[in-house]
Amino acid sequence: MKNPVHLSTPLDGDSIGKLKIHDVVTLSGTVFTARDMAHLKLKELYRKGAPLPEIFTGGVIFHAGPVVKRANGGFRVLTIGPTTSIRMEPHSDFIGAIGIRAIVGKGGMDEESLRAFKKYGMVYLLAAPGCGVLHAQAVREVKRVYWLEEFGMPEAIWVLEVADWGPLTVAMDSHGNSIFQAIQEEGLRKLDGLVKG
Amino acid sequence: MKGLENKLSGVFLDSLVRGVTGISPDVLNLMKGALQQEESPPAKAMLEAMLKNVELAQKLKKGVCQSPGIPCLYVRCSPEMTGMDIRRIAGESILRATQEGYLRPSIVHPLTRKNTGDNSGPGIPNIEMEVDPALDYLELIVSFKGCGPELFNAFKTFTPESLGENLEGLKRFVLETVIHAGGKPCPPIGLGIGIGGQMDGAAKLSRKAISQRKWDDQNPDPQLNHLEQGLLEKINQLGIGPGGVGGKTTALAVKIDMAYTHTAICPVAVNFHCWVARRFGFRFYSDGRTEEVL
Repeated sequence: MKNPVHLSTPLDGDSIGKLKIHDVVTLSGTVFTARDMAHLKLKELYRKGAPLPEIFTGGVIFHAGPVVKRANGGFRVLTIGPTTSIRMEPHSDFIGAIGIRAIVGKGGMDEESLRAFKKYGMVYLLAAPGCGVLHAQAVREVKRVYWLEEFGMPEAIWVLEVADWGPLTVAMDSHGNSIFQAIQEEGLRKLDGLVKG
Repeated sequence: MKGLENKLSGVFLDSLVRGVTGISPDVLNLMKGALQQEESPPAKAMLEAMLKNVELAQKLKKGVCQSPGIPCLYVRCSPEMTGMDIRRIAGESILRATQEGYLRPSIVHPLTRKNTGDNSGPGIPNIEMEVDPALDYLELIVSFKGCGPELFNAFKTFTPESLGENLEGLKRFVLETVIHAGGKPCPPIGLGIGIGGQMDGAAKLSRKAISQRKWDDQNPDPQLNHLEQGLLEKINQLGIGPGGVGGKTTALAVKIDMAYTHTAICPVAVNFHCWVARRFGFRFYSDGRTEEVL
Protein backbone atom coordinates (compact mmCIF):
# COMPACT_ATOMS: atom_id res chain seq x y z
CA MET A 1 0.00 0.00 0.00
CA LYS A 2 1.18 3.49 -0.83
CA ASN A 3 1.52 6.14 1.87
CA PRO A 4 -1.76 7.98 2.22
CA VAL A 5 -2.18 11.51 0.87
CA HIS A 6 -4.09 13.65 3.33
CA LEU A 7 -7.02 15.69 1.99
CA SER A 8 -9.01 18.41 3.76
CA THR A 9 -12.24 20.06 2.71
CA PRO A 10 -12.86 22.26 0.83
CA LEU A 11 -10.96 20.29 -1.82
CA ASP A 12 -8.99 22.25 -4.37
CA GLY A 13 -8.51 21.40 -8.04
CA ASP A 14 -4.75 21.00 -7.68
CA SER A 15 -4.76 18.25 -5.08
CA ILE A 16 -7.56 16.37 -6.88
CA GLY A 17 -5.74 16.63 -10.22
CA LYS A 18 -2.62 15.05 -8.73
CA LEU A 19 -4.46 11.95 -7.59
CA LYS A 20 -4.19 8.78 -9.70
CA ILE A 21 -5.99 5.47 -9.40
CA HIS A 22 -4.51 3.18 -6.71
CA ASP A 23 -3.43 6.18 -4.61
CA VAL A 24 -4.58 6.03 -1.03
CA VAL A 25 -5.97 9.02 0.86
CA THR A 26 -7.26 10.02 4.26
CA LEU A 27 -9.82 12.76 4.56
CA SER A 28 -10.70 15.42 7.14
CA GLY A 29 -13.42 18.02 7.11
CA THR A 30 -17.07 18.13 6.12
CA VAL A 31 -18.84 15.41 4.15
CA PHE A 32 -22.46 15.25 2.99
CA THR A 33 -24.24 11.90 2.88
CA ALA A 34 -26.52 11.58 -0.13
CA ARG A 35 -28.30 8.65 -1.71
CA ASP A 36 -30.98 8.36 -4.40
CA MET A 37 -33.65 10.60 -2.87
CA ALA A 38 -31.31 13.42 -1.85
CA HIS A 39 -29.80 13.53 -5.34
CA LEU A 40 -33.24 13.64 -6.94
CA LYS A 41 -34.39 16.45 -4.69
CA LEU A 42 -31.20 18.50 -5.06
CA LYS A 43 -31.51 18.16 -8.82
CA GLU A 44 -35.14 19.26 -8.73
CA LEU A 45 -34.31 22.35 -6.64
CA TYR A 46 -31.41 23.21 -8.95
CA ARG A 47 -33.58 22.84 -12.05
CA LYS A 48 -36.16 25.22 -10.59
CA GLY A 49 -33.47 27.70 -9.63
CA ALA A 50 -34.38 27.30 -5.94
CA PRO A 51 -31.62 27.62 -3.31
CA LEU A 52 -29.80 24.43 -2.28
CA PRO A 53 -29.53 23.71 1.46
CA GLU A 54 -25.72 23.99 1.46
CA ILE A 55 -22.84 25.40 -0.58
CA PHE A 56 -21.19 22.35 -2.10
CA THR A 57 -18.09 24.01 -3.58
CA GLY A 58 -15.06 21.78 -2.98
CA GLY A 59 -17.35 19.36 -1.16
CA VAL A 60 -17.43 15.62 -0.63
CA ILE A 61 -20.50 13.42 -1.09
CA PHE A 62 -20.56 10.15 0.80
CA HIS A 63 -22.91 7.58 -0.72
CA ALA A 64 -24.19 6.33 2.62
CA GLY A 65 -27.13 6.05 4.96
CA PRO A 66 -26.04 5.95 8.61
CA VAL A 67 -27.60 4.52 11.74
CA VAL A 68 -28.06 7.59 13.89
CA LYS A 69 -29.22 7.96 17.48
CA ARG A 70 -30.59 11.09 19.09
CA ALA A 71 -28.30 12.12 21.96
CA ASN A 72 -28.10 15.27 24.12
CA GLY A 73 -30.35 17.28 21.85
CA GLY A 74 -28.26 16.33 18.81
CA PHE A 75 -27.36 13.21 16.89
CA ARG A 76 -24.68 10.55 17.15
CA VAL A 77 -23.65 8.23 14.31
CA LEU A 78 -23.58 4.60 15.48
CA THR A 79 -22.62 3.01 12.17
CA ILE A 80 -22.06 4.34 8.67
CA GLY A 81 -20.66 2.70 5.55
CA PRO A 82 -20.79 3.13 1.80
CA THR A 83 -23.83 2.21 -0.27
CA THR A 84 -23.77 1.00 -3.90
CA SER A 85 -22.64 4.04 -5.87
CA ILE A 86 -23.80 2.95 -9.31
CA ARG A 87 -27.36 3.99 -8.42
CA MET A 88 -26.17 7.61 -8.44
CA GLU A 89 -24.55 7.28 -11.89
CA PRO A 90 -27.15 9.53 -13.61
CA HIS A 91 -26.32 12.41 -11.22
CA SER A 92 -22.54 12.73 -11.70
CA ASP A 93 -22.60 15.68 -14.06
CA PHE A 94 -25.07 17.50 -11.83
CA ILE A 95 -23.05 17.10 -8.65
CA GLY A 96 -19.93 18.21 -10.53
CA ALA A 97 -21.82 21.32 -11.63
CA ILE A 98 -22.73 22.22 -8.03
CA GLY A 99 -19.10 21.96 -6.95
CA ILE A 100 -18.63 18.47 -5.49
CA ARG A 101 -15.05 17.32 -6.01
CA ALA A 102 -15.00 13.84 -4.44
CA ILE A 103 -17.42 10.97 -4.02
CA VAL A 104 -16.88 8.31 -1.39
CA GLY A 105 -18.73 5.06 -2.02
CA LYS A 106 -18.41 1.42 -2.91
CA GLY A 107 -18.46 -0.65 -6.07
CA GLY A 108 -17.55 2.22 -8.38
CA MET A 109 -19.34 4.13 -11.11
CA ASP A 110 -19.41 4.12 -14.89
CA GLU A 111 -18.71 6.07 -18.11
CA GLU A 112 -20.93 9.07 -17.39
CA SER A 113 -19.13 9.58 -14.09
CA LEU A 114 -15.69 9.24 -15.66
CA ARG A 115 -16.66 11.99 -18.12
CA ALA A 116 -17.91 14.24 -15.30
CA PHE A 117 -14.78 13.54 -13.24
CA LYS A 118 -12.63 14.72 -16.14
CA LYS A 119 -14.83 17.73 -16.91
CA TYR A 120 -14.99 19.07 -13.35
CA GLY A 121 -11.85 17.56 -11.79
CA MET A 122 -13.33 14.98 -9.43
CA VAL A 123 -12.32 11.64 -7.93
CA TYR A 124 -14.08 8.55 -6.68
CA LEU A 125 -12.80 7.23 -3.37
CA LEU A 126 -13.53 3.62 -2.48
CA ALA A 127 -14.41 2.95 1.17
CA ALA A 128 -14.22 -0.63 2.47
CA PRO A 129 -17.75 -2.07 1.99
CA GLY A 130 -19.70 -3.55 4.89
CA CYS A 131 -17.53 -1.74 7.45
CA GLY A 132 -20.11 0.39 9.25
CA VAL A 133 -18.32 0.42 12.60
CA LEU A 134 -14.88 1.17 11.20
CA HIS A 135 -16.02 4.20 9.18
CA ALA A 136 -18.13 5.53 12.06
CA GLN A 137 -14.95 5.90 14.11
CA ALA A 138 -13.84 8.75 11.85
CA VAL A 139 -17.05 10.74 12.41
CA ARG A 140 -16.44 13.45 15.00
CA GLU A 141 -19.74 15.28 14.82
CA VAL A 142 -23.15 15.41 13.18
CA LYS A 143 -23.38 19.06 12.21
CA ARG A 144 -26.80 19.23 10.55
CA VAL A 145 -29.38 17.12 8.81
CA TYR A 146 -31.75 17.90 5.94
CA TRP A 147 -34.97 16.17 4.92
CA LEU A 148 -34.95 13.66 7.79
CA GLU A 149 -38.72 13.72 8.25
CA GLU A 150 -39.43 13.65 4.54
CA PHE A 151 -37.08 10.85 3.49
CA GLY A 152 -36.24 8.95 6.68
CA MET A 153 -32.87 8.15 8.23
CA PRO A 154 -30.99 6.54 5.32
CA GLU A 155 -31.99 9.01 2.60
CA ALA A 156 -31.58 12.29 4.51
CA ILE A 157 -28.55 14.50 3.93
CA TRP A 158 -26.36 14.20 7.04
CA VAL A 159 -23.64 16.83 7.29
CA LEU A 160 -20.77 15.17 9.10
CA GLU A 161 -17.40 16.31 10.40
CA VAL A 162 -14.78 13.59 9.86
CA ALA A 163 -11.16 13.41 10.93
CA ASP A 164 -8.38 11.33 9.34
CA TRP A 165 -10.92 9.12 7.65
CA GLY A 166 -9.41 6.28 5.72
CA PRO A 167 -7.54 4.70 4.12
CA LEU A 168 -9.75 5.37 1.09
CA THR A 169 -8.58 4.20 -2.32
CA VAL A 170 -8.66 6.45 -5.38
CA ALA A 171 -10.58 4.07 -7.63
CA MET A 172 -11.54 6.56 -10.38
CA ASP A 173 -9.48 9.67 -11.10
CA SER A 174 -9.95 12.93 -12.99
CA HIS A 175 -7.88 11.66 -15.95
CA GLY A 176 -10.34 9.05 -17.24
CA ASN A 177 -8.98 6.04 -15.32
CA SER A 178 -11.01 3.52 -13.36
CA ILE A 179 -9.72 0.41 -11.60
CA PHE A 180 -13.19 -1.11 -11.98
CA GLN A 181 -13.24 -0.70 -15.75
CA ALA A 182 -9.83 -2.34 -16.12
CA ILE A 183 -10.86 -5.28 -13.93
CA GLN A 184 -14.14 -5.76 -15.81
CA GLU A 185 -12.36 -5.79 -19.17
CA GLU A 186 -9.95 -8.40 -17.82
CA GLY A 187 -12.89 -10.55 -16.65
CA LEU A 188 -14.60 -10.34 -20.04
CA ARG A 189 -11.35 -11.37 -21.75
CA LYS A 190 -11.19 -14.49 -19.59
CA LEU A 191 -14.88 -15.37 -19.99
CA ASP A 192 -14.75 -17.69 -23.03
CA GLY A 193 -11.85 -19.68 -21.65
CA LEU A 194 -13.53 -20.12 -18.28
CA VAL A 195 -16.86 -21.23 -19.79
CA LYS A 196 -15.12 -23.90 -21.91
CA GLY A 197 -12.66 -24.97 -19.20
CA MET B 1 -49.07 -22.01 22.52
CA LYS B 2 -48.93 -18.59 24.29
CA GLY B 3 -46.25 -19.80 26.73
CA LEU B 4 -44.14 -21.10 23.88
CA GLU B 5 -44.57 -17.85 21.98
CA ASN B 6 -43.28 -15.87 24.98
CA LYS B 7 -40.22 -18.10 25.24
CA LEU B 8 -39.59 -17.74 21.53
CA SER B 9 -39.82 -13.93 21.82
CA GLY B 10 -37.07 -13.87 24.42
CA VAL B 11 -34.76 -16.14 22.45
CA PHE B 12 -35.44 -14.25 19.23
CA LEU B 13 -34.35 -10.78 20.35
CA ASP B 14 -31.15 -12.03 22.03
CA SER B 15 -30.22 -14.08 18.98
CA LEU B 16 -30.99 -11.19 16.64
CA VAL B 17 -28.67 -8.82 18.48
CA ARG B 18 -25.93 -11.47 18.54
CA GLY B 19 -26.59 -12.17 14.85
CA VAL B 20 -26.22 -8.60 13.58
CA THR B 21 -23.22 -7.66 15.76
CA GLY B 22 -21.07 -10.35 14.15
CA ILE B 23 -20.91 -12.52 11.06
CA SER B 24 -21.58 -16.23 10.83
CA PRO B 25 -18.56 -18.26 12.10
CA ASP B 26 -18.30 -20.27 8.85
CA VAL B 27 -18.05 -17.04 6.84
CA LEU B 28 -15.58 -15.49 9.29
CA ASN B 29 -13.30 -18.53 8.85
CA LEU B 30 -13.53 -18.27 5.07
CA MET B 31 -12.62 -14.56 5.28
CA LYS B 32 -9.58 -15.36 7.43
CA GLY B 33 -8.56 -18.09 4.98
CA ALA B 34 -8.92 -15.64 2.09
CA LEU B 35 -6.56 -13.20 3.81
CA GLN B 36 -3.91 -15.95 3.93
CA GLN B 37 -4.38 -16.61 0.20
CA GLU B 38 -4.32 -13.05 -1.09
CA GLU B 39 -1.03 -11.64 -2.33
CA SER B 40 -1.85 -8.15 -3.62
CA PRO B 41 -1.54 -5.42 -0.97
CA PRO B 42 -4.86 -3.65 -1.83
CA ALA B 43 -6.80 -6.93 -1.57
CA LYS B 44 -5.11 -7.77 1.72
CA ALA B 45 -5.79 -4.28 3.08
CA MET B 46 -9.46 -4.60 2.14
CA LEU B 47 -9.85 -7.97 3.89
CA GLU B 48 -7.98 -6.68 6.93
CA ALA B 49 -10.35 -3.70 7.16
CA MET B 50 -13.35 -6.04 6.95
CA LEU B 51 -12.01 -8.36 9.67
CA LYS B 52 -11.12 -5.40 11.88
CA ASN B 53 -14.65 -4.08 11.40
CA VAL B 54 -16.12 -7.39 12.63
CA GLU B 55 -13.86 -7.31 15.68
CA LEU B 56 -14.85 -3.73 16.47
CA ALA B 57 -18.55 -4.49 16.03
CA GLN B 58 -18.34 -7.31 18.54
CA LYS B 59 -16.29 -5.27 20.98
CA LEU B 60 -18.54 -2.20 20.79
CA LYS B 61 -21.78 -4.21 20.41
CA LYS B 62 -22.77 -2.43 17.21
CA GLY B 63 -24.26 -3.71 13.96
CA VAL B 64 -21.43 -4.94 11.70
CA CYS B 65 -22.93 -3.11 8.74
CA GLN B 66 -25.36 -0.19 8.70
CA SER B 67 -27.50 -1.93 6.09
CA PRO B 68 -29.75 -4.71 7.39
CA GLY B 69 -31.44 -5.32 4.04
CA ILE B 70 -34.84 -6.97 4.20
CA PRO B 71 -34.86 -9.47 7.08
CA CYS B 72 -35.67 -12.99 5.85
CA LEU B 73 -36.97 -15.84 7.97
CA TYR B 74 -36.84 -19.46 6.90
CA VAL B 75 -39.15 -21.55 9.03
CA ARG B 76 -39.55 -25.33 9.05
CA CYS B 77 -41.90 -26.78 11.59
CA SER B 78 -44.06 -29.66 12.69
CA PRO B 79 -47.79 -29.34 11.89
CA GLU B 80 -48.53 -28.86 15.63
CA MET B 81 -46.41 -25.71 15.79
CA THR B 82 -47.86 -23.85 12.81
CA GLY B 83 -50.12 -21.85 15.14
CA MET B 84 -47.25 -19.79 16.54
CA ASP B 85 -47.43 -16.18 15.47
CA ILE B 86 -43.92 -15.94 14.03
CA ARG B 87 -44.69 -12.72 12.14
CA ARG B 88 -45.66 -10.90 15.34
CA ILE B 89 -42.72 -12.26 17.35
CA ALA B 90 -40.19 -11.44 14.64
CA GLY B 91 -41.76 -8.03 14.02
CA GLU B 92 -41.55 -7.09 17.71
CA SER B 93 -37.89 -8.12 17.97
CA ILE B 94 -37.00 -6.26 14.77
CA LEU B 95 -38.76 -3.16 16.12
CA ARG B 96 -36.81 -3.31 19.40
CA ALA B 97 -33.51 -3.87 17.59
CA THR B 98 -34.29 -0.90 15.36
CA GLN B 99 -35.11 1.36 18.32
CA GLU B 100 -31.85 0.32 20.00
CA GLY B 101 -29.79 1.17 16.90
CA TYR B 102 -28.80 -2.37 15.88
CA LEU B 103 -30.83 -2.10 12.66
CA ARG B 104 -31.29 0.98 10.49
CA PRO B 105 -34.91 1.73 9.60
CA SER B 106 -34.64 0.92 5.91
CA ILE B 107 -38.11 -0.19 4.82
CA VAL B 108 -40.17 2.05 2.53
CA HIS B 109 -43.34 1.96 0.45
CA PRO B 110 -42.11 0.76 -2.95
CA LEU B 111 -43.74 3.58 -4.93
CA THR B 112 -44.09 6.59 -2.60
CA ARG B 113 -40.68 5.73 -1.01
CA LYS B 114 -42.05 6.77 2.40
CA ASN B 115 -39.95 5.18 5.16
CA THR B 116 -42.04 3.46 7.86
CA GLY B 117 -39.35 4.40 10.39
CA ASP B 118 -39.33 1.06 12.20
CA ASN B 119 -38.56 -1.64 9.62
CA SER B 120 -42.19 -2.73 9.50
CA GLY B 121 -44.56 -2.92 6.56
CA PRO B 122 -46.65 -5.36 4.58
CA GLY B 123 -44.53 -8.38 3.61
CA ILE B 124 -41.75 -7.43 6.07
CA PRO B 125 -40.02 -9.50 7.30
CA ASN B 126 -39.95 -11.90 4.39
CA ILE B 127 -41.07 -15.26 5.82
CA GLU B 128 -40.85 -18.59 4.06
CA MET B 129 -42.60 -21.37 5.90
CA GLU B 130 -42.47 -25.09 5.31
CA VAL B 131 -44.53 -27.58 7.31
CA ASP B 132 -42.95 -31.00 7.69
CA PRO B 133 -44.74 -33.82 9.58
CA ALA B 134 -41.37 -35.54 10.15
CA LEU B 135 -40.21 -32.74 12.48
CA ASP B 136 -40.89 -32.39 16.21
CA TYR B 137 -39.60 -28.84 16.40
CA LEU B 138 -39.75 -25.43 14.82
CA GLU B 139 -36.55 -24.42 13.06
CA LEU B 140 -35.98 -20.78 12.40
CA ILE B 141 -33.14 -19.34 10.35
CA VAL B 142 -32.97 -15.57 10.15
CA SER B 143 -30.79 -13.85 7.60
CA PHE B 144 -29.82 -10.21 7.11
CA LYS B 145 -28.04 -9.36 3.90
CA GLY B 146 -27.38 -5.93 2.51
CA CYS B 147 -29.69 -4.83 -0.31
CA GLY B 148 -27.05 -3.29 -2.62
CA PRO B 149 -26.21 -6.74 -3.96
CA GLU B 150 -29.89 -7.21 -4.90
CA LEU B 151 -29.36 -4.70 -7.73
CA PHE B 152 -27.35 -7.34 -9.60
CA ASN B 153 -29.54 -10.40 -9.12
CA ALA B 154 -30.43 -11.98 -12.44
CA PHE B 155 -32.87 -14.44 -13.90
CA LYS B 156 -33.00 -16.36 -17.15
CA THR B 157 -35.24 -19.10 -18.44
CA PHE B 158 -33.09 -21.57 -20.33
CA THR B 159 -34.26 -24.19 -22.82
CA PRO B 160 -32.72 -27.66 -23.19
CA GLU B 161 -30.73 -26.20 -26.09
CA SER B 162 -29.55 -22.98 -24.41
CA LEU B 163 -28.38 -24.81 -21.24
CA GLY B 164 -25.61 -25.95 -23.54
CA GLU B 165 -23.19 -28.83 -23.69
CA ASN B 166 -21.61 -29.35 -20.24
CA LEU B 167 -24.00 -26.63 -19.03
CA GLU B 168 -21.86 -24.04 -20.79
CA GLY B 169 -24.88 -21.79 -21.35
CA LEU B 170 -25.66 -21.76 -17.64
CA LYS B 171 -22.01 -21.21 -16.68
CA ARG B 172 -21.70 -18.29 -19.10
CA PHE B 173 -24.84 -16.68 -17.66
CA VAL B 174 -23.51 -16.96 -14.09
CA LEU B 175 -20.01 -15.70 -14.93
CA GLU B 176 -21.32 -12.78 -17.04
CA THR B 177 -23.64 -11.80 -14.20
CA VAL B 178 -20.71 -11.79 -11.76
CA ILE B 179 -18.43 -9.83 -14.13
CA HIS B 180 -21.05 -7.12 -14.65
CA ALA B 181 -21.72 -6.87 -10.91
CA GLY B 182 -17.95 -6.43 -10.37
CA GLY B 183 -17.11 -4.82 -7.05
CA LYS B 184 -20.64 -3.54 -6.49
CA PRO B 185 -22.26 -6.36 -4.42
CA CYS B 186 -19.68 -6.04 -1.58
CA PRO B 187 -17.30 -8.85 -2.52
CA PRO B 188 -16.11 -11.31 -1.38
CA ILE B 189 -19.61 -12.45 -2.23
CA GLY B 190 -21.65 -15.53 -1.60
CA LEU B 191 -23.58 -16.55 -4.69
CA GLY B 192 -26.90 -18.36 -4.47
CA ILE B 193 -28.19 -20.12 -7.56
CA GLY B 194 -31.72 -21.48 -7.86
CA ILE B 195 -32.39 -23.95 -10.64
CA GLY B 196 -35.78 -25.31 -11.68
CA GLY B 197 -39.42 -24.67 -10.85
CA GLN B 198 -40.78 -21.54 -12.49
CA MET B 199 -39.53 -17.94 -12.17
CA ASP B 200 -40.70 -17.51 -8.57
CA GLY B 201 -39.47 -20.94 -7.52
CA ALA B 202 -35.96 -20.48 -8.91
CA ALA B 203 -35.74 -16.99 -7.36
CA LYS B 204 -36.74 -18.26 -3.92
CA LEU B 205 -34.31 -21.17 -4.12
CA SER B 206 -31.47 -18.83 -5.10
CA ARG B 207 -32.00 -16.69 -2.00
CA LYS B 208 -32.54 -19.61 0.29
CA ALA B 209 -29.42 -21.48 -0.88
CA ILE B 210 -27.05 -18.65 0.06
CA SER B 211 -28.96 -17.35 3.09
CA GLN B 212 -29.44 -20.46 5.16
CA ARG B 213 -26.68 -22.90 4.25
CA LYS B 214 -23.26 -22.76 5.87
CA TRP B 215 -20.86 -21.35 3.30
CA ASP B 216 -18.26 -24.06 3.96
CA ASP B 217 -20.62 -27.03 3.64
CA GLN B 218 -20.86 -29.56 0.82
CA ASN B 219 -23.93 -30.04 -1.33
CA PRO B 220 -25.28 -33.57 -0.72
CA ASP B 221 -26.14 -33.83 -4.44
CA PRO B 222 -22.82 -34.79 -6.16
CA GLN B 223 -23.71 -33.09 -9.46
CA LEU B 224 -24.65 -29.81 -7.76
CA ASN B 225 -21.61 -30.03 -5.48
CA HIS B 226 -19.37 -30.37 -8.53
CA LEU B 227 -21.08 -27.41 -10.20
CA GLU B 228 -20.75 -25.28 -7.03
CA GLN B 229 -17.02 -26.01 -6.71
CA GLY B 230 -16.39 -25.47 -10.42
CA LEU B 231 -18.20 -22.15 -10.53
CA LEU B 232 -16.49 -20.94 -7.33
CA GLU B 233 -13.10 -21.68 -8.83
CA LYS B 234 -13.96 -19.91 -12.10
CA ILE B 235 -15.42 -16.85 -10.34
CA ASN B 236 -12.24 -16.52 -8.32
CA GLN B 237 -10.22 -16.41 -11.53
CA LEU B 238 -12.10 -13.30 -12.69
CA GLY B 239 -9.86 -11.05 -10.59
CA ILE B 240 -12.57 -8.80 -9.11
CA GLY B 241 -11.28 -9.23 -5.57
CA PRO B 242 -12.38 -7.92 -2.15
CA GLY B 243 -14.30 -4.65 -2.49
CA GLY B 244 -13.58 -4.81 -6.24
CA VAL B 245 -9.93 -3.72 -5.91
CA GLY B 246 -8.66 -6.83 -7.70
CA GLY B 247 -7.47 -10.09 -6.19
CA LYS B 248 -8.08 -13.79 -5.83
CA THR B 249 -11.08 -13.59 -3.51
CA THR B 250 -14.19 -12.58 -5.43
CA ALA B 251 -16.47 -15.22 -3.92
CA LEU B 252 -16.33 -17.19 -0.69
CA ALA B 253 -19.08 -19.62 -1.68
CA VAL B 254 -21.45 -20.71 -4.43
CA LYS B 255 -24.55 -22.53 -3.20
CA ILE B 256 -27.10 -24.15 -5.49
CA ASP B 257 -30.57 -25.35 -4.68
CA MET B 258 -32.76 -27.21 -7.13
CA ALA B 259 -36.35 -28.17 -7.82
CA TYR B 260 -37.70 -30.21 -10.70
CA THR B 261 -39.15 -28.23 -13.57
CA HIS B 262 -41.22 -28.58 -16.74
CA THR B 263 -39.86 -30.44 -19.77
CA ALA B 264 -39.82 -27.22 -21.84
CA ILE B 265 -37.75 -24.97 -19.54
CA CYS B 266 -34.93 -24.56 -17.05
CA PRO B 267 -35.31 -21.36 -14.98
CA VAL B 268 -32.08 -20.15 -13.34
CA ALA B 269 -31.85 -17.35 -10.77
CA VAL B 270 -28.65 -15.83 -9.41
CA ASN B 271 -28.69 -14.13 -6.01
CA PHE B 272 -25.80 -12.08 -4.61
CA HIS B 273 -24.94 -12.02 -0.91
CA CYS B 274 -22.47 -9.48 0.52
CA TRP B 275 -19.58 -10.73 2.69
CA VAL B 276 -21.46 -9.51 5.79
CA ALA B 277 -23.40 -12.72 6.42
CA ARG B 278 -25.43 -11.92 9.51
CA ARG B 279 -27.48 -14.97 10.42
CA PHE B 280 -28.75 -16.92 13.33
CA GLY B 281 -30.83 -20.02 13.67
CA PHE B 282 -32.29 -22.24 16.29
CA ARG B 283 -34.58 -25.16 16.82
CA PHE B 284 -37.32 -24.70 19.27
CA TYR B 285 -38.91 -27.84 20.71
CA SER B 286 -42.44 -28.04 22.04
CA ASP B 287 -41.09 -28.66 25.58
CA GLY B 288 -39.32 -25.28 25.41
CA ARG B 289 -35.79 -26.57 24.78
CA THR B 290 -33.81 -24.54 22.23
CA GLU B 291 -30.81 -25.55 20.21
CA GLU B 292 -28.65 -23.34 18.00
CA VAL B 293 -28.28 -24.50 14.43
CA LEU B 294 -26.19 -21.79 12.75
